[in-house]
Formats: sequence, structure tokens, C-alpha cells
Amino acid sequence: MKTRIATLLFAAVALAGCESSPSVNTIQNAQQTGQRNLIQDRRIITDKPFSRRVSVLAINTAMTPGDLLKVQVELLNRTGSIQRFIYSFEWFDVDGMQVNNTLSAIIPDQLEAGESKFISAVAPSPACRDFRLKMLQAQDINSP
Amino acid sequence: MKIKALIPFVAVATSFAGCSSSPNAHYIQTGGQESVVNVNQINIQDFISAANAATSDLLASGVLDRVQPPPAVLAISRIVNNTSQQIDTDLLVKKIRVALLQSGKAVTTTTYGLGGPEDPLAAQMLSQPGRTPDFTLSGKIIETFARAGDIPGRLGG
Repeated sequence: MKTRIATLLFAAVALAGCESSPSVNTIQNAQQTGQRNLIQDRRIITDKPFSRRVSVLAINTAMTPGDLLKVQVELLNRTGSIQRFIYSFEWFDVDGMQVNNTLSAIIPDQLEAGESKFISAVAPSPACRDFRLKMLQAQDINSP
Repeated sequence: MKIKALIPFVAVATSFAGCSSSPNAHYIQTGGQESVVNVNQINIQDFISAANAATSDLLASGVLDRVQPPPAVLAISRIVNNTSQQIDTDLLVKKIRVALLQSGKAVTTTTYGLGGPEDPLAAQMLSQPGRTPDFTLSGKIIETFARAGDIPGRLGG
């Protein structure tokens, strides 16, 4: 009898552990007025599981009034759990040389389950013509 | 026989290699996976993120481009630390200054400043006529506390 109760408790705990976090529902206007200047991208994927969990849906660029390149990247969390990651942008001039940026911050971010989000960055100077986005899954602080 | 004779040498070489590949002290990338994220305290990564956000928003707004003749002249005013921590506000201000200078959209003036120029040499030049600042940079670092049960939290801004 005790064994049966223990088994039931174990199953209940296991089911509770498997319960996924709340997922994000997204609603937007069907007739989009703004037209995004989507660009083609080239990807170097070294962490395939992470790229499957957090996918880059689209990248669009625009120029600010001050002739600075602005980049916007749309991300989607395809899983049923929260995904934490860090990212940083690198910038390159017309000759392909990396532009030194004192504020090249590594930014921590997260996506709720099923959430899509835009991350954006503005080039540090008008000389920047190209960019590169690096994304890395954040380590779990509880992991050794 | 030859193999047996080689084993001690290989073992010694491996142990040396092990020693050299386990450094106790090394540089880490700021904000990277190895960086320490502390709670209840503002860290360098917070300053970089705040400076990055402030500068990006300022550059993207285009207000600096409306100044004639360019570049805009920016004077540094007071950054108030309204937190319970001791903070050198230059950690924030210097990053914004350098980023704006690198953008070419603004220059910061050292001849104007709250309580007199920061640079003593600039104080001597103050008597000479020059361009007055188009903008001033001021701000406040604040913190709020929140508690959910036994879990305390601090929000900086």
C-alpha cells in the first residue's frame, strides 16, 4: 500500500515537473502599414540545439536621421520554456574593418515561452555599414 | 622495453601540460559567460548597458544632427547618485562621452561644467570667447526595493 502511494506521489511530482511555463500569445494588426526592409543574412551555427530553440525569423535595417545604420532582429522562442541568452553586435566599416565601439555591450536577454521579440542596435558611427550579431545561450546559474 | 621507458616521460610531460592549462587567474570578457553577476549591487555590466542604451537612443533620435553647425557641443552636468551605494558616476558618464565623441555627432566641452571646469587647463581658457554648449548631460541613478515573501529584490534605474 505504501509502495502504491509512493508511486502515485512520484508520478504527481514528475507531472508537476513536466508542466511547461505559460506561453505568450501575440496579437497584432492584420493590415501592416510599415514595410520592413528585410535583408538576407548569412549564419554560422555552432550551437544547433540553441538555434532551434531561439530562432532568428527576420532581420531588417534602416537608417536613422543622422545616417546611422539601425538593425532590428526578430527572435522567436520555439520552446515551451523561458530561454535566456546573451548577445552583442559588432560593426564594420565600408572596408570591412571592425569599428571599435566602447559600448560593445554583451546584453543579457530572455524570451518567454513562445514569445517573439525584437532586439535592435544603432551603429556607433556613420562609418558603420555592416554588422554581425553574436548570440550565446546563457549558462544556468545553478549548473556547476 | 622502449615503451616502458617512455611512459614516465609521457606522464611527466602530461603533468606539466596540466599545470600550464589550469590557470588560477585570467582575464575574462566583461559580461561574458565567466563574468560574475552580483545581486543587490550595481556592477560594471549595468553601467555599460545603461550607457549603451542612453547613447543609442540619443543617436537614433537625431536631435544631435539638428544643431548647426555640427557637431553639437555637450557639457557635462551633475549625475546624482540617489542609491545607497557608493558609485563613481564617471563609470557611466565617461562611457557616454567617449561613445558620443566616436560617433562624431557631438563633442563634449571641458571648459564648462558644474562647479567649474573639470580640467584645470580648461579653467584658464574659459576667459577666451568660445562656443557655448548646445546640450547639457545630467541624470540621476535611483534604486527601488521590492520584496516578494522572503525574496528581496533591488531595481536600479
